[in-house]
Amino acid sequence: MSEPILETRGVSKAFGGLVAVNKVDMAIEPGRITAIIGPNGAGKTTLFNLVTGVYAVTEGEIHFRGKPLRKSPPHKRAKMGIVRTFQNVQLFGNMTAMENVMTGQHPRSSYGFLEAALRLPKSWREEEDIKLRAMKYLNIVGLGQYARHNALSLPLGQQKLLAIARALATEPQLLLLDEPGAGLNTLEKRELSDLIKRIQEMSITVLLVEHDMPLVMGLAEWVIVLDSGSKIAEGTAAQVQKDQKVIAAYLGEETD
Amino acid sequence: MLKRFRPKWQHGATAVLLTLLVCLPFDWFLPQYTTLMIFIGLSTMVTVGLCLLMGYTGQVSLGQAAFYGTGAYISAALTKTCGFNPWLAMLLAAAGTGAFAFLIGYPIFRLKGNYLAMATLGLGLILYVLFRQLGPGGPSGTGDIDILSIGSFGFDTPFRRYFLVWGFCLVILVISQNIVNSRTGRALRAIHGSEAAAESLGINVSQFKVKIFVLSAIYASLAGSLFVHHLRFVSPQSFDFIASVKLVVMAVIGGLASVWGAIFGAGTTRLLSDEILLRFGEWDVVIYGLVLMLVMILMPDGLFVWLKGVFENLRTRLRQGKVET
Amino acid sequence: MSADQFLQYLISGLTQGSIYAIIGLGFTIIYAVTRIINFAQGEFVMLGGMLSFILASAAGMPLPAAVVLSIVIASAVGALMYLLAIRTARRASVVSLIIITIGAAIFIRGIVGEAWGVDFVRPGFFTGRTSIEFLGAFIHPQAIWVIGTTILVTIFLHLFFSYTMTGKALKACAINPVAAGLVGINAKAMALLSFVLAAALGGIGGAVMAPLTFTAYNAGLMLGLKGFVAASIGGFKSQLAAVIGGFMLGIVESLAVAANWGPFSSAYKDVIALIVLLLILLYRSGRLAEEERTG
Repeated sequence: MSEPILETRGVSKAFGGLVAVNKVDMAIEPGRITAIIGPNGAGKTTLFNLVTGVYAVTEGEIHFRGKPLRKSPPHKRAKMGIVRTFQNVQLFGNMTAMENVMTGQHPRSSYGFLEAALRLPKSWREEEDIKLRAMKYLNIVGLGQYARHNALSLPLGQQKLLAIARALATEPQLLLLDEPGAGLNTLEKRELSDLIKRIQEMSITVLLVEHDMPLVMGLAEWVIVLDSGSKIAEGTAAQVQKDQKVIAAYLGEETD
Repeated sequence: MLKRFRPKWQHGATAVLLTLLVCLPFDWFLPQYTTLMIFIGLSTMVTVGLCLLMGYTGQVSLGQAAFYGTGAYISAALTKTCGFNPWLAMLLAAAGTGAFAFLIGYPIFRLKGNYLAMATLGLGLILYVLFRQLGPGGPSGTGDIDILSIGSFGFDTPFRRYFLVWGFCLVILVISQNIVNSRTGRALRAIHGSEAAAESLGINVSQFKVKIFVLSAIYASLAGSLFVHHLRFVSPQSFDFIASVKLVVMAVIGGLASVWGAIFGAGTTRLLSDEILLRFGEWDVVIYGLVLMLVMILMPDGLFVWLKGVFENLRTRLRQGKVET
Repeated sequence: MSADQFLQYLISGLTQGSIYAIIGLGFTIIYAVTRIINFAQGEFVMLGGMLSFILASAAGMPLPAAVVLSIVIASAVGALMYLLAIRTARRASVVSLIIITIGAAIFIRGIVGEAWGVDFVRPGFFTGRTSIEFLGAFIHPQAIWVIGTTILVTIFLHLFFSYTMTGKALKACAINPVAAGLVGINAKAMALLSFVLAAALGGIGGAVMAPLTFTAYNAGLMLGLKGFVAASIGGFKSQLAAVIGGFMLGIVESLAVAANWGPFSSAYKDVIALIVLLLILLYRSGRLAEEERTG
């Protein structure tokens, strides 16, 4: 058991009187695919927002690779290696697919205003690298042929893949996928599952929030269950499926 | 070099435009428009900055004329009252304006859209009042300002100043286009597309907004300095609220996220206001209002960009027509 | 400065501040229901004043009729602005909406400037010009009209929003537009109403104030800005804060001019409001940043 790549210790988040996340402790093992599940409103996306720095914790600490994150803003955490995708995709509609992924290379490139303005050699060299790597990530998700298409012209399933390619381009250590399977058909979900396994082979730790049980059960090596902001169970997929508390939490839910 | 996915007709159009620009002030071409074109060039410089600011980072500046003014006034004050070399004064004005924009940029850009717009409006008005009260010559302004010169070569005729202004203008346009096509440009477009996603990819959104604000302020300041060394006169009226609104009109017509569109925007607006509407009293303000409303309602990407789109559509349809026959 | 003088300045500050308060209310109402900052708010005030002058003096209408008609026209302009410019813009971005309302503002200003000219005008006083003595200071009867109107308007709005169906519907829209839609409240109608209400408020403010302070085609800009300052004190959410903010701004301006100390001579009077604005915005930006981080 190596040191967890991500740890939350007693993390809570309250919006005025509403407690969205309630003293959650979790430890994410590096290199493992971990899933966070739970009925709607359980606080899963809020937890993501806390980890990525969009929200500040009301209570508790978050540690990444052993160091506390405190109040780092999201862009700094991205540079550190914590990157996420969004439930509603959030692609850059004013760019092509390729340009979207190239933007993902932002934290791994460095030339700035001056080099760009004057087209100094450093800028061309880095641009070439950025293009090559972006193409690589586009190919990894299977969208190479759509490089020059406007990002929003792609169907939803491919938009989600594009968002993942974009996140991969940041060369993250921890990738948080927020409901990557939502809105996908069965075939697309299988491709997504394969992609996530390939991401794992790239030594990237994957943490995903998902509603689709078969997808989760087939992928996740560790599952954490949230309900109403608190962690109610965790274990392997098989263990969690049989947990009484988990079943009770979902009984009120409509399953698809 | 970097490959560009740019349609071929743009190269031709650019060549034509450049040729026209170079030939214009000559006696055998269209010298009567030299002064108008100088003003168009100056306006373009300011408008490009505004386009970058509004079109890419989605921040509205209703006080951009204020930076034009600081460039003008600092240059005027330093050269006339303190006897500085005009080039040095221009540099100092740009540095000062940039520093000022930087200082107010950080707090201002934490504000969201509406507050930001009001803040820039307020700022523009404060500077206007300061120009009126503290500027050399007060509300009536002051004249007798030096011209720019390099050694013994003075920019003392409109002909020479035309090339000076357009030289600066083209450099600024090229620099801006370079920025747009770079990693920085992508970051800016990302911010415009989705701030949350941009931030999640390691882009420091606030910092970029401030940087663009400072850049736009520097462009405006340089234009202001050139303005003052052309007109050889400075007065606060040129930098009031309506002046800022006029700049927004130019940006809106040119296309908020378009660099070269700024020439189009500045050109049409100036032509309108200086040649056509001058005969009609206050109607220019009415037209500006109408233009702002109509363009933002019907073509929110700006007139020029919309026209480009129409043009491209036509070309595609013509080509398809040819293929079918 | 003697107590009498102080009181005099206080009164003049309250009078001026009443207008800022009314304008601030207009901003708050539109923002609450539509989340739009109406940069043309000041123009409605200008219309109130200009129109009542034009109708009374140039067209010879009796003053009360002119005032009422000018308020009606201002409201109509507000309605038109919403219907033609705002509603047709549908899902416009914040940037677009700001530019659209600015466009409307200068359009209105330009039309008035063209139609009437650039001269200052002053409509007649409502009830004569004999100042009334009050605790050693003099209040102009028109000033009583101004302050009184503001107080009445504030009370009326409070009653309207708390006790009438329409008012409550407006408030519901402000708090949660989706839920409001679900219980059958027509969001577009509410938005239209908010514009009409804000325009009417502006018109009332303008009509009642113009006799005291003169007005001209370009009065809208600074007035709008100061009303914005008043409204931002309450974060555009609280009507009471907007009113109090307006009064406070008026008093601060008045006292600063009274002190006549260096930078605060009357030429800089407007700058005071602007500095207050920037300070408030700075403060808010700090709060906003905190709010966003802590949700």
